[in-house]
Amino acid sequence: MTGHEQGAGTRALAVLRRQRWWFTRVLALPVHLFFFAAAVFFLVRMIPGDPVAVLTGGQNVSAAKAEQIRASLGLTGSLLSQFVHYLHNVVTLNFGNSMMNGLSVWGELSQRLPETIELAVIAMVIATALTLVMGLVAVLKPKSILAKILIPYARTAGAIPDFVLGVLGIFLFYTTVHLLPAPDGIYAPTLNPDPKVTGFPLLDALFAGDTVMFGSICAHLVLPVAVLVIANTPLLLKIFLRALEEAVDAAPTRFRIAAGASRRTVLLSIARRAAPSAVAMMGTLFGFMLGGVVVVEQLFAMPGMGLYGVDAVNSSDRTALEGFLIVVATISLVVFLIVDLVNMILDPRRRPGLAKEGAS
Amino acid sequence: MSVTITADEVLAPPPAKATAKRILAAIWSWAPVYPMVAVFIIAVIGPWIVPLSPTSVVGSPDLRPGGAFHFGTDSTGLDVFSRTFAAFRNDIVIATLTSLVSTTVGILLGLLIGMNESRRGLLGWVARFLVRVLDLIQAVPAVVIALALVAVVGTSVFSLTVALAIILTPNQARMVRTEVLKVRTDAYIDAARMAGEREFTLTLRHVLPNASWPALENASLVFGAAILITATLGFLGVGLHPPTPEWGSMISTGASDAAVGRWWSFVFPAIALVIAVGSFALAGQRIFGRRND
Repeated sequence: MTGHEQGAGTRALAVLRRQRWWFTRVLALPVHLFFFAAAVFFLVRMIPGDPVAVLTGGQNVSAAKAEQIRASLGLTGSLLSQFVHYLHNVVTLNFGNSMMNGLSVWGELSQRLPETIELAVIAMVIATALTLVMGLVAVLKPKSILAKILIPYARTAGAIPDFVLGVLGIFLFYTTVHLLPAPDGIYAPTLNPDPKVTGFPLLDALFAGDTVMFGSICAHLVLPVAVLVIANTPLLLKIFLRALEEAVDAAPTRFRIAAGASRRTVLLSIARRAAPSAVAMMGTLFGFMLGGVVVVEQLFAMPGMGLYGVDAVNSSDRTALEGFLIVVATISLVVFLIVDLVNMILDPRRRPGLAKEGAS
Repeated sequence: MSVTITADEVLAPPPAKATAKRILAAIWSWAPVYPMVAVFIIAVIGPWIVPLSPTSVVGSPDLRPGGAFHFGTDSTGLDVFSRTFAAFRNDIVIATLTSLVSTTVGILLGLLIGMNESRRGLLGWVARFLVRVLDLIQAVPAVVIALALVAVVGTSVFSLTVALAIILTPNQARMVRTEVLKVRTDAYIDAARMAGEREFTLTLRHVLPNASWPALENASLVFGAAILITATLGFLGVGLHPPTPEWGSMISTGASDAAVGRWWSFVFPAIALVIAVGSFALAGQRIFGRRND
């Protein structure tokens, strides 16, 4: 190897070392997914009851037929060969057919996913915006009436569960004042669905120029979104308030104030310091929203992912449960990956292996 | 002008009035704990004092509150009052067991991980592996993990406790681990180590008492979370099976009643649920101070 090549090699290595922080984090994702998939594999095989009996509804079937069903569920052969087969299926998104209705699990999930994501993301955007505004008001104007209301509100975090809020909302706004539609799905059952473009109901209605449908979807979204926002904002606000208070008390902030920096500079410095916590909070929030969606979909009869999972458990449908768990886990892990990466960009101290590099 | 104070005056007990006041003040200062005590008492005596059977049909369906049925009857004719009060026991048993198990296991795991994480050898590997496992459990929404576990372990009081302990232990372990990492480098630990104490006894005698408070403080929140998840599973129809009195499944039945205007079969179990969860948060705040807000 010539000296020049060697130089290039070390330089490439140096670049690699400097980029290692995001590199290793991204590489961790498939490893985590593998562990999770393995956990799901064993968990599903621990579900009590004979899957053949579940599938045939308890009828007597011939041994050959039962064996055939087992094979179609990936339950034949050694555990290792089952596992390899299963991993291959997971990677190729082939989760098999649901034991409830014989439909492809992935087909069903991919159809339901957009509706769930739409609900979670809308609720998340509103909850985040509210938290940011309320947090800033509470910290910057601590003597205002608003702050005096907000801080106890944040303390009640989680005391009223989402399904109680949901039923209360239905009772008040549908049953009593008839302001909002019945909890009967994503849109009024009398309407015909718009042609699928993106799969997101709201966007599809928009693309089709279907204002009636758009209005119906919006009206049906008000309560579910409100439930998710009201149930999860206090917890979020609590975390954010703590981060802001820490940032306000931090030595750099005090230094800026002491040095006579303008209010704007001080505020920017506070925001900069509270940002990583706020981003981390978004990851947590998305997790809460995904969990909340399961409950909300059940309550408002919205045929999304969450309802699918609940149905799968109720009918001990192993293939559907497998698919549901893997998809939810993937979404959660990807969101946490994004949160981690953004945080490492915002705050290099969070990058792994930094101490080691600094020492060498 | 001098004032003379006799020994009698100094030694005399403080005026009786002040003592009564002090007792009153002490009673008042523990007021936030009383709802929790009340909830525990209802949990113990609830199923005995209810006027009607909480698990069988006792009247015609959809009766308004009043008369023999204080909270009315639900759409199958079950007495809402009896069910609401009988439900305290199941939820409190599950929540108590869960917070005991998850706090104990969480502290032990936190110690194991915190003390061994940066170590070479097998223990270090085990500790780092456990960190990953805890991260994975926490990354996925609790309700989803609960759904998966319930499908496997079933829905008796005991199996729900197992499922909830698996869900709620990681947070406890993580909080203890963070504290262990702080405590580990304290001078008294080094001193004990130099005095020749073995790693195991050192961990138990010096690290455990100093690093387990976050999990203990959080135990009251675990309590609330356990009640909430139990109710959520009941609401989703995968928790304790009806007609076992349980707030979540009662609210689920009540939801369809409320949608047609019959509010009572939803409102009363919901209030009981909120009171039970709130009472533990309140008591936790009083007992452990405000450090945790």
